[in-house]
Amino acid sequence: MVYHTIYITMLILLSFMLLACLIRAVRGPRIADRLMAVNMMGTMVMVMIAVLALMLQQGYLVDICLIYAMISFLSVVVLSKVYIGIYEERQREKKASQEKEHKGGLSDGNA
Amino acid sequence: METLEWIKIIVGSAFLLCGIVIFFTELFGVFHFQYVLNRMHAAAMGDTLGITSCLIGLMIFSGFNYTTLKILLIIIFLWCASPVSSHVLARLETATNENLAEHCEIYKDLSILEQELDSRKTAEDEKEDVL
Repeated sequence: MVYHTIYITMLILLSFMLLACLIRAVRGPRIADRLMAVNMMGTMVMVMIAVLALMLQQGYLVDICLIYAMISFLSVVVLSKVYIGIYEERQREKKASQEKEHKGGLSDGNA
Repeated sequence: METLEWIKIIVGSAFLLCGIVIFFTELFGVFHFQYVLNRMHAAAMGDTLGITSCLIGLMIFSGFNYTTLKILLIIIFLWCASPVSSHVLARLETATNENLAEHCEIYKDLSILEQELDSRKTAEDEKEDVL
C-alpha cells in the first residue's frame, strides 16, 4: 500500500514535469532547444516506465525502458547530424548562387 | 523483518525524492536561462544525475532480482549516452548559429584561449601576493 502511494505520487509529479518539457519544446526559439526538450522528455518517460514496471510487477517493462533509452539516444544523434547536413547544404547552395550572380554581374558590366 | 522493510522504504523514497528535486531544478534552469547553451548545461547535468538517482531508488524498492540488474544496465547505458547526446546537440548549435559571438566569446585557436587563461591566473596570483 505504501509502495503504491509512492509510485502514484511519482507518476503524477513526473507527468506535470513532462508537460513543462512539452511547453519548452513548443516555445524553444532554436532547433537545439526543441531537441533538448525532447531528450529531457525521453529521460522522464524512462523513469515513468521503470516506475510502472515495479508498480505492475511486470519485469519485461524494464526491457522496454532500455530499448526506449537506446532509441531516444539514436534519434537525438541522428536528428542533429541530419540538421547539420541540411544546414551545410543550404550554405553551399547560397554560396554557389552568390558566386553565379557575381560572375553574371561582372560579365554584364564588361558587355 | 518489519524494520528492514521500513528502512528499505525510507531509503528508496529518499533517493526518489532526490531524483524528483533534481528534475525540478533542471526544469527551473531550462526555463530560467536565456540561451540554448546555458539551458543545455542545466538539462544535461539534470538528466544524468536525476535519472540515476530515481533508478537507484527503484532498485532499492525492487530488491535483489533480475529487474534490478536490468535497471543497473539502463543506468550504465545512460551514463555513456546522455553526455554524448548533449555534446552532439551543442555541436549542432555551434555549427548552425551564425550569431554565436553575441552570446559567448569565441576563440579561433585553442592556444589563444590557453594564453589568456594563463595570464588571468598569473594576474590573480599577483593579487593574492599583494593581499
